[in-house]
Amino acid sequence: MRPRLIFGIAGIIVFTALVMVNFSQSISSYVDFEEATGMSGDNIHVVGTWDSSRPAEFSNETMTFTFYMKDEAGNSRRVTYPRPKPNNFEQADQIVVIGEMRGDTFVSRDMLVKCPSKYNDANSPELSEMQ
Amino acid sequence: MIGILGHAALSLAFVSAIFATWFYYRAARHGGEKNEAIANALFFLKGAFTLFASGLLVYLIFTHQFQYYYVYNYTSSDLQNVYLWAAFYSGQEGSLLLWVLSSFLVGLALIKWTSPEYRMPVMVFMGLTQVFLLSMVSGFPIPGWGDLGASPFRTLASEMPDAPVFQRNPDFVPSEGSGLNDLLRSPWIIIHPPVIFLGFAMMTVPYAFALASLWKRKYHEWIHAALPWTLGANLCLLTAIFLGGYWAYVTLSFGGYWAWDPVENASLVPWIFGMAGIHAMLIQKKHASAHKASIIFAILAYVTIVYQTFLTRSGILGDSSVHSFVDLGLYNHLLLFMLVTVAIGVGMLAYRYRELPEPEKESPLLSREFMMFSGAMVLFLVGLVIILGTSSPVLGRLFVDNPTPPDQQFYNNWSLPFAVLIGIMSVVTQYLWWKRHDAESLASALITPTLITSVITIAVVMLVNMDNPAYMIYLFAGVFALTGNGIIMLKMMRGNPRRIGGTLTHIGFAVLMIGILGAAYDRPMVDSQTREYNRAVAAGQVYDDDGFRVNQPVEFVELEKDRPKLIDGRYMVTFKSADVTEQNRPGEQEYEVLFEDVNSGSHFTMRPTVYPMLSNSSPGAVEWTVDPDVRTGWYRDIFMYVAGSSMVDREIERMNRENPGRFQSVDQLGPQMADHDPDETRTRVSRGGTVQIGDYDIAFQRFIYIEESELPDNSIIGVRAVLQLEHRETGERWEVRPQYILVSEDDEQYAYNPPEELPFAEEGSVRFGEVHPGSDEIELVIRGMEGEPEREWILLAAEHKPMISVVWLGTFLLMFGFSVAIMYRWADQKKREKLEQQGGELQQDDSDDDNLPVNGDPQSITTGKPDEHPA
Repeated sequence: MRPRLIFGIAGIIVFTALVMVNFSQSISSYVDFEEATGMSGDNIHVVGTWDSSRPAEFSNETMTFTFYMKDEAGNSRRVTYPRPKPNNFEQADQIVVIGEMRGDTFVSRDMLVKCPSKYNDANSPELSEMQ
Repeated sequence: MIGILGHAALSLAFVSAIFATWFYYRAARHGGEKNEAIANALFFLKGAFTLFASGLLVYLIFTHQFQYYYVYNYTSSDLQNVYLWAAFYSGQEGSLLLWVLSSFLVGLALIKWTSPEYRMPVMVFMGLTQVFLLSMVSGFPIPGWGDLGASPFRTLASEMPDAPVFQRNPDFVPSEGSGLNDLLRSPWIIIHPPVIFLGFAMMTVPYAFALASLWKRKYHEWIHAALPWTLGANLCLLTAIFLGGYWAYVTLSFGGYWAWDPVENASLVPWIFGMAGIHAMLIQKKHASAHKASIIFAILAYVTIVYQTFLTRSGILGDSSVHSFVDLGLYNHLLLFMLVTVAIGVGMLAYRYRELPEPEKESPLLSREFMMFSGAMVLFLVGLVIILGTSSPVLGRLFVDNPTPPDQQFYNNWSLPFAVLIGIMSVVTQYLWWKRHDAESLASALITPTLITSVITIAVVMLVNMDNPAYMIYLFAGVFALTGNGIIMLKMMRGNPRRIGGTLTHIGFAVLMIGILGAAYDRPMVDSQTREYNRAVAAGQVYDDDGFRVNQPVEFVELEKDRPKLIDGRYMVTFKSADVTEQNRPGEQEYEVLFEDVNSGSHFTMRPTVYPMLSNSSPGAVEWTVDPDVRTGWYRDIFMYVAGSSMVDREIERMNRENPGRFQSVDQLGPQMADHDPDETRTRVSRGGTVQIGDYDIAFQRFIYIEESELPDNSIIGVRAVLQLEHRETGERWEVRPQYILVSEDDEQYAYNPPEELPFAEEGSVRFGEVHPGSDEIELVIRGMEGEPEREWILLAAEHKPMISVVWLGTFLLMFGFSVAIMYRWADQKKREKLEQQGGELQQDDSDDDNLPVNGDPQSITTGKPDEHPA
């Protein structure tokens, strides 16, 4: 075999291995709060919905937004978010918070707000009232 | 009626596309003018039907026929004409239609300009992609199965047959549509989608040419015709990516031009593979090798377009992208499209693989073809990494259940070393391209750019206190690419400036690379107190009430009206005013924030806006969104938006009051009595007496009778109460005169006593509630007077963003370089065809004037010795 070919193949193997290892480390799994409690690192993704029965507010003193989120298993936990309330927070049919569990509070560093999108829903007042 | 017509037109277009493809196939297989003529006629027919259907859709949109699902879902009657126009492609079905139309235009150009030997087979594959795209919007009725795909002409009633409103009345037509997403109401939507779909359509051309070459076993010539198209496709994709990035930067609050979102990656990866293809084609043109690579990359570029279309439109990314499309029931459809595209490409490649020309001997390491090929491979690997990341919902399952998208860090960490490689290789390859070198002569040729680069890099590192070694290497590579390619371009300008396209794109890439580094030095602009706090957070010295370490810095500053704060150690920033201007949208608020530079004494005003997203909201749950303001500078931008304000809070409260029950305010949780407004205070006060409400004294001085001429008809009597309001602390005074008019109508009497607004409190009012004649007392209904006069504040989110202009500059240079290259390659191809027609025998490489005296040679301009060809 030609040396350059061997070199190339070895390179591809090393590259693939590195990428895959790095990839597997940089993704994580969507979990609920119970599972998140035992996990380390600040890249934990929890999916849920806003628990509207409990207070949610932005504090101008600490500059954090605090609310309660109910995960898919039904656990409700306090969540802090270091920015003002996202624009479409109330409407979200799903919220993904990314961060870590600290005691009973989930400290998020990022939040994705998934809205009933225009591509999917006909949610005008006229129709939704009649539905 | 029009819907049926449109439905029929699209179905006919679909059928014509099938037959056109079939006749193209026959023409390609058996030849014959007749087959070709029929196929072309069918192709035109298909285009005509599609255009007609599109016209109908535009008509439906402009006439607000909300019984159609598409019209209902993306428009409303208050939409301006430009956005009605854009609504044509704002939804998934319409954007597919736009893709079909773009492909049709490209097909017309191919029919006109492609040389006869490739024309028919190329059109087979163009036709095939049209069949797939049209099938997704045709709504073609298949007996016993239903309609094919999602037609833009389907009605609301057919879309939601279970809705009670349609069960009660099948002919129900909504009076208003749900409107275009507020975020899409931006002038950029007029240009961005058409450019991207034109790019997609053009990227079909190299795919079709590559397959045609495999089919017809003409492996050499196709690249000449495909090269300008590939360059064109790349120019379109780049322009679209730029437009999308700029749009995101100036309208969204995340404050960047790139977020590695799947939708963004969907056009970036084909662009990268297109670049790899262009380089492989250039090697083939010049050196008669890399035939396989040209074909593979041409196939891959289009396959990734289809693959990423599948990812973004099938709903599979639902969780991981905030703006991916939602499944329209096209999942299987898209999957089939993708599988067929891949199967044809891979199948034909495998079938002919052994036959493909192979260079007889290996090129030396320091040859331009080897260097360029390695460059193409690096591009290929970058593309693979991005695909891997984007595919996490699918491929991540190899590692975990329910995979999340990767951290952005994953993309950044991998693209940094690849960009370094590309930057350095672009210079080395350019030097080798224009002159043969051995290691020694190359090294001496590279001394100048290396020295210049080192000086610049060290200067910059010291100037900005760069302490990250990875950034230093990256910066070095970027500056090296800039100086190396710059030196070459300077020499070329003296020789043959028509050919600087390639070098110019490399310079553009280098500038872009340097500009992107600026993103690592973004910093929030905050006051000194917050900066100290953030420093402590970074050092891990801040703990919250529960004893946990705080690791999130504060990126906002609260500004009170007319109270300046020194921000970023340099700007005195004052919140001057806030107004409801409704300039572009109902309810839009504009804020005026003054920045005064304490160093230079100069000043400027920024005007970010905040608006309710009415078309995305239902009454009682209004979403608010921000529209940032950007001040562009040569070295750095100031990006800012208002993250929250007293005015927005008051608006939300007001909206909640007006729509009670629908929405529970987050600020007002707790028991609420049905009829009692908690903000209201009722009090009685006698003539001459004073009451204290909150921080105010209210003195009821006297009655005034209202003149009969000022009273409305059938009034019995009208009085005003003269009230003197005084803020106890400041001593400020106001007078208000709420009225009480007794009106009789149809033998009934009632009071007309509207609330009188308070001059000092935005939402405050006093209403003259009742008269108690016996005790000489009146009842006042007061709201908005608890506490002090309303405090006016905003939360200012400002960011210092270096080198954004450099990013744009790099992009423009890339675009310009592509344009120059397209013109050059197009002219080159025309010249080649002319020679062919004149019977001139063409050899693989000779027509290409890359081998003319090497004017651009950095070292030996005067020697001009043509390269010899190893092949």
